[in-house]
Amino acid sequence: MNERRLRDPLRRRLLYLLGLWAACLITSSLISPHFLQPSTLPFLLQYVPILGLLGLGQTLVMLAGGPGIDLSVGASLSLSGLAMAWLFSLGVDIYIACLAGIVLGALLGSVNGILITVLGIPSLMATLATMFGFGGLALALTGGTPIGGIPDSFAWLGQGRTLSIPNHFWVLFVPIAIMLHVLLAHTAIGSHIYAAGNDERAAYLLGVKVRRLRFGLYALNGVLAAIGAAMMLSWFQAARPDAGRGMELLSVTIAVLGGTHIFGGLGRVSGTVVAIMIVATLQVGLQLANISHAWQLGVIGTLLVGSVVLDNLGTLKRLRAG
Amino acid sequence: MAPVGAPDGFLAGPRRAVPREVILMVAIIAVGTLFATQSEFFLTERNLVTVLRNSVDLAVICAGMTLIIIMGGIDVSVGGILAVSAIFIGHSYKAGLPDEVVVPIGIGVATMLGALNGVIVAKARVPPIIATLGTMYVFIAVLFLVIGGTWIHGLPDTLSFLIRGEFVGIPAGVFIIGCVYGCCWVLLRWQAWGRHLCAIGCDEGSARLVGINIDRVKIQAYALTGALAGIAAVLYVARLRNVEVNIGTNIALEAIAATVLGGADIRGGTGSLIGALMGVIFIKLVQNGLVLIGVSSLWETVVIGGLLIIVLTLDALETRRSGRPT
Repeated sequence: MNERRLRDPLRRRLLYLLGLWAACLITSSLISPHFLQPSTLPFLLQYVPILGLLGLGQTLVMLAGGPGIDLSVGASLSLSGLAMAWLFSLGVDIYIACLAGIVLGALLGSVNGILITVLGIPSLMATLATMFGFGGLALALTGGTPIGGIPDSFAWLGQGRTLSIPNHFWVLFVPIAIMLHVLLAHTAIGSHIYAAGNDERAAYLLGVKVRRLRFGLYALNGVLAAIGAAMMLSWFQAARPDAGRGMELLSVTIAVLGGTHIFGGLGRVSGTVVAIMIVATLQVGLQLANISHAWQLGVIGTLLVGSVVLDNLGTLKRLRAG
Repeated sequence: MAPVGAPDGFLAGPRRAVPREVILMVAIIAVGTLFATQSEFFLTERNLVTVLRNSVDLAVICAGMTLIIIMGGIDVSVGGILAVSAIFIGHSYKAGLPDEVVVPIGIGVATMLGALNGVIVAKARVPPIIATLGTMYVFIAVLFLVIGGTWIHGLPDTLSFLIRGEFVGIPAGVFIIGCVYGCCWVLLRWQAWGRHLCAIGCDEGSARLVGINIDRVKIQAYALTGALAGIAAVLYVARLRNVEVNIGTNIALEAIAATVLGGADIRGGTGSLIGALMGVIFIKLVQNGLVLIGVSSLWETVVIGGLLIIVLTLDALETRRSGRPT
């Protein structure tokens, strides 16, 4: 039993990721005396939820196959954050404004869904086009200036802490991650997602509504991006038109590092969560040690390629071993 | 020119009722007319030559991107290659080396980096988007580490004839673009290598079975794209005579957008060099025209994204009507 568990590639992947995370933690505390302080924890977890939701959304989109990818999440985040701040400046209650922003996120995600599942445009191109479209709209409609003036009463979510852990980590990230894990691992929808990612034709013949499923996941990805936007709004008390720039590639990186197969069918929430922690630890550790941001990019890039190469080597070895 | 793959019939490719080049030509004429009626400066020779000078580096990169996409790959690291190559060029100049040494260094470094992408994709079997995404991070890291927040500036202007020069009244950029696209066109249409490229893009398994050395073709194609990014770096340095931190940040996505606007299919097997060039011209005309008619240049990405959605939708509808499986 134990041996079979170890042979499970995803479990091995998780162990390997946890080891990598431990290595990051140890290196960070060695290179910076400031890292092993209680004050580091909230600092470390501050950025995790926003990036984390995007990474989880990307994981789901990739899992359902197609091949699926969503390059527009960063732009959706920027645009829905701006919509929230703009509605608030018109006098709408901030929570209702956030809700409206989340609905907008769902609409933006649905645009991707229509382009990809109804028209059959490859996801890479469709979401590249909407990335240009949404990101451009966010910049053009605001003229590039941020919308501020979010009240202090809303700052509890992004700035407040409970047990020295940021509130948005407790209130949004943990429940959503658990919900997505349950969705993937313990529901029929989750099995359908894996089935569609492994063999869409077989899944279709077995009655899985593959297109509808994928459409839903793109819409869900828009919603997750909008929730990320709400967290950012509360953290910075302003919405920047370029808030999500670069996040699309980072979220793809996190999903792939976490063991999600880029062509779908393989991956878990747990792997993605550990991958987020690795990226966040790297960011904070190198920052505290006053090491250039460039090293962080270099390490992330190497990890990304290295993890896929290691996967391939493992697959080859298993094939040879029969 | 029809898209590669379509005319012979034996290579799969969408037979478009309206060729993409025609759609792009209509789009270029439409935005051109719009800008010309709004600004009398738009259609002057000086402005158009400026647009040409600004689009040479993107056009050169797009030629490589077209080949890669025809092969069914993608390269998002071209901006990083351009940046690293430009750093080598800048530092070589600072070390007092002459043009004859500096240019080969820049192009050579870029070719090596491209070949590195090719090796990762072909030998380690990493999906191209992941491989080049990873190397892009690494290249950008090299850029930051070497350049460290300052510009390399005050580079000599011995190469600026590549941008500003004229020959029998025609700007030098026309010759550079003509040369690069001519060579790529010959490679693609008249060489077995180009056929292998299309074959890999259409069906990699079959291409392997008929005896094409897939790994070698892939590495060569990525190396060629790297070399073209190196040429773009030389042109960049020749044009601006400095190397700054945010060099090459958007050029990969712009190149992919222009290539797909030009009729390339991201799933491989189909693509058009002329179309890609027209895509570049469209993007650069929009960037230039919006500034001239006083609309914020921030709208340019909206226009590019909108046109991308339109052409992709048209393609999708046509594919569906002709009954090919999606």
